[in-house]
Amino acid sequence: MWALAWRNVWRHKARSIVTAGAVAVVVIFTLVFFSFTQATKTGMMEVLTNDFGHLQVKSARAKDAQDFDASLLRGAAELEAALLEELPGVRMARVLEVPALVSGETRSRGVLVIGLKQDPTLRERFELEYLAAGRLPSPGSLDEIALGEALARTLHLDIGDPVYVFAPGTEGWGASAYVLVGILKFPQASYEGKVAYLSLEGAQELAAPGAVTRFEVHLGAGRGVPREEEIHRVKERLTSVLGAGVSVETWREASPDLAAILDLMDPAMVVFSFFIFVLAGLLVVNTIYLGLVERIREFGVMIAVGADRWRVMRMIFAESLVLVLAGSAVGLAVSGVCIAWMSRGVAFPGLDEALAEFGLPAVLYPSVTLQQVAITMAFTIATALLAALWPAWVAGRLQPVEAMRHVA
Amino acid sequence: MKPILRAVGLTKVYGSDGVSTPALRGVDLEVLPGEFTAIVGPSGSGKSTLLHILGCLDKPSSGETYLGERRTDQLDPVSSARLRLQEIGFVFQAYNLIPVLSALENAAFVLELRGVPKKVREEKAMQALEALGIADLAHRRPNQLSGGQQQRVAVARALAAEPQVILADEPTANLDSQSGLSLIELMKRLNVERGMTFLFSTHDPRLLEHVTRIVRLEDGRVVSDERVNAA
Repeated sequence: MWALAWRNVWRHKARSIVTAGAVAVVVIFTLVFFSFTQATKTGMMEVLTNDFGHLQVKSARAKDAQDFDASLLRGAAELEAALLEELPGVRMARVLEVPALVSGETRSRGVLVIGLKQDPTLRERFELEYLAAGRLPSPGSLDEIALGEALARTLHLDIGDPVYVFAPGTEGWGASAYVLVGILKFPQASYEGKVAYLSLEGAQELAAPGAVTRFEVHLGAGRGVPREEEIHRVKERLTSVLGAGVSVETWREASPDLAAILDLMDPAMVVFSFFIFVLAGLLVVNTIYLGLVERIREFGVMIAVGADRWRVMRMIFAESLVLVLAGSAVGLAVSGVCIAWMSRGVAFPGLDEALAEFGLPAVLYPSVTLQQVAITMAFTIATALLAALWPAWVAGRLQPVEAMRHVA
Repeated sequence: MKPILRAVGLTKVYGSDGVSTPALRGVDLEVLPGEFTAIVGPSGSGKSTLLHILGCLDKPSSGETYLGERRTDQLDPVSSARLRLQEIGFVFQAYNLIPVLSALENAAFVLELRGVPKKVREEKAMQALEALGIADLAHRRPNQLSGGQQQRVAVARALAAEPQVILADEPTANLDSQSGLSLIELMKRLNVERGMTFLFSTHDPRLLEHVTRIVRLEDGRVVSDERVNAA
């Protein structure tokens, strides 16, 4: 049956090539889009987790906290020791966020002062990605500050200028003077206009001795995001070790909006693919139906010599499957080569800033998962079967005598 | 001897746009095993309709048909198809071979439908082609064969399946005189050597010289039924 189906499909070479070609294009289109969706998801997750970690350890009261005090994790040194005992060698950032007023000689702005202490690899990456001029405040320094570029511009400040920070209502000195040592440039201009960075110790001395707002825990190393299961396993461990009063959140829980957007990408892509497969399916219906109409006499003879309606219907389905799978095979091969080539990294020269604005890295690494390939193949097989449904139904109802008298 | 094919009070009325056209008006017929029977009559006399109904390709409006002891006029489409597949061979006026299959594959087609393994069916198909003298054309496609050769392949398709009876609708109508004569002699030889039962409609007077029985139809009725040229 399959050999007969194969030969029948190629009786009208041009028509079948066009149809199989359309299926191939749809498969290529789908898989390449899937690969870019995957690259976008991975890229956005990487950007987010590079900045904020895979897990965040916060005060249990932080979520609903309206005041500075409630957001603090006190006894940061003990908590850090407990964390490192549970996760030896893990990379970590300690963050203390302080709402404050920052002033230059002539202007002031309300900003978020961030005390930051990062492990060396995280600090290097932060420096590489965001430092536009000067340097970061030295670890442990009490009088150095770095400002977002937009903020520095607003305050008319440059490297070496004095900066005054007021953090009223906090537990530290509440006010201090610093020297501007670095200018930071972030993709989001609005963020850049609202942040100033100190060393963690500097921020603690200013606002909350011995406290942090959160620990950012970075799992794994290199490119890629650890599996969700692994992140959840670590969360469970930390939750049981750190006890009440401390909340451990995964990056999804810490950024629910972004997580929701990422979760919507695959379903949206599946819906999109569904519609382009419907278009391909219409072409397949046309080809298979024309093939039936042109061969009604033949089908009549087959029925006359003993083929029952199910056999005839199976032949139609077989022809549709052969046609669609031939196109799919070409599509898979071409998209496989394309994606393998693109997986080394695709950059978009000139669009770096626009990509960053959307939380995307400058280089995307397209790839497809087995599940995405399986979805694509399921669509192709469903297209073949659904496209053959009507012609098969028509063929199955042919009466042999009438069919043999049919004139195409 | 019990008949292999039997029609009792067979009628067939075609209806279209409210106009009824009777094709058969009460045909009674019995065909015995091993007979080489021709159904003759002018165009529109009901020859093809009778063959189609006896071959379970069509349903009568009334009356009964039998293949051996089995009543066949009330079978559902699937049972009809199974019966045709297992018991009846067909040869059509227009050859009706499958263009994408070789002569050998066409001859083996009915056996393939029966689910016979490839090796066995190709052996049987090749034997049928040999019996018809066209074994050397086994791997040619129908468009590479003459009309006579194609009709031989069609006979081989019926023959390879070793049916109880072969029904042929004007088998020589599209053939030149030489090919037609050759096919007639061939069918007669199969009838004599293998005892195969042939029932066919024809206008061809040469064919009548070889038959053992002539059934004449006019206006959907049997007007004569005579046994001739007894073997």
